[in-house]
Amino acid sequence: MSQEIGVVGSPDFTTGFRLAGVRKFADVRDDDEDEQFDEAVREMLEDDDVGILVMHDDDLNRLSRGVRSDVETSVEPVLVTLGGGTGSSGLRDQIKRAIGIDLMEED
Amino acid sequence: MAEDVKPTRKELMQIEERIELSERGHDTLEQKRDGLIMEFMDILDEAQDVRSDLDEKYEEAQNAINMARALDGDVAVRGAAAALKEHPELTTQSKSVMGVYIPQIDSTKVRKSLDERGYGVLGTSARIDEAASAYEELLEQIILAAEVETAMKKMLDEIETTKRRVNALEFKLLPELRANEEYIEQKLEEQEREEIFRMKKIKDKKEREEDEEAEAEREAEEAETVAADD
Repeated sequence: MSQEIGVVGSPDFTTGFRLAGVRKFADVRDDDEDEQFDEAVREMLEDDDVGILVMHDDDLNRLSRGVRSDVETSVEPVLVTLGGGTGSSGLRDQIKRAIGIDLMEED
Repeated sequence: MAEDVKPTRKELMQIEERIELSERGHDTLEQKRDGLIMEFMDILDEAQDVRSDLDEKYEEAQNAINMARALDGDVAVRGAAAALKEHPELTTQSKSVMGVYIPQIDSTKVRKSLDERGYGVLGTSARIDEAASAYEELLEQIILAAEVETAMKKMLDEIETTKRRVNALEFKLLPELRANEEYIEQKLEEQEREEIFRMKKIKDKKEREEDEEAEAEREAEEAETVAADD
């Protein structure tokens, strides 16, 4: 089954990806309500054609709790965040819980 | 809990069998957990490398597009972005690592040549081409990151469930079974002691009865001889 990459974020963020050929994108302006952001992410999660969801790390904080934990634990599509340093914070928490040690600590 | 079992020998045998099975399962699961953690460590190293590359590529791509935007204008960049015809596609296959299915993502049409991009070559500047190719590189890296991060998430899930199973066996099921086993053993021993005591009692009673019988016989004999004398 062939899938695509999805991008959610501000128009500035998504333009570059569209330049590289990404078709599934959702523009959310900075002055939009956070609910619209939730809605856009939820749509991407429910879309079977989206295999990878790309977001900016700062935008994660705008999501409501439920959607955020959904998107962080989702495997299909899998979330890749940009600009946040060491991986998504959700993954880091999960490692702490499963292994018992914070393996992603910066040395 | 220990009071719920019937103190019979059959039950004891069944519990012993279950303990043996649980211990075997516990050992196997423990090995699986350790193996998974070792696999996970390998993937984690890889993930951290991919991550730092990703951040680097993202910065480069951002610089390129900012340059294009500043010199050609936002409208030109967006116009070019809207004209794209080819779209990157992903195909996912999976491979199994210790029973965990890890995705292997193949991508097509991420990197495109100039004429595949779809926007006119004349109407746009080289800066837009550069931005587009920087973002194409970034997408490739994102696909790699998605692969290892999905693998990590799945492994972590599996590690968590395995750990929970190991702990459930070690701290809940096995102690309960051992308590039951001990309860039945004690109960059976007590029954045995009671049985011995009961036997002794019966033996005492029998002996006493025999003695009494013998006494009665002797008395009867004596009475007979006395009567005969008379």
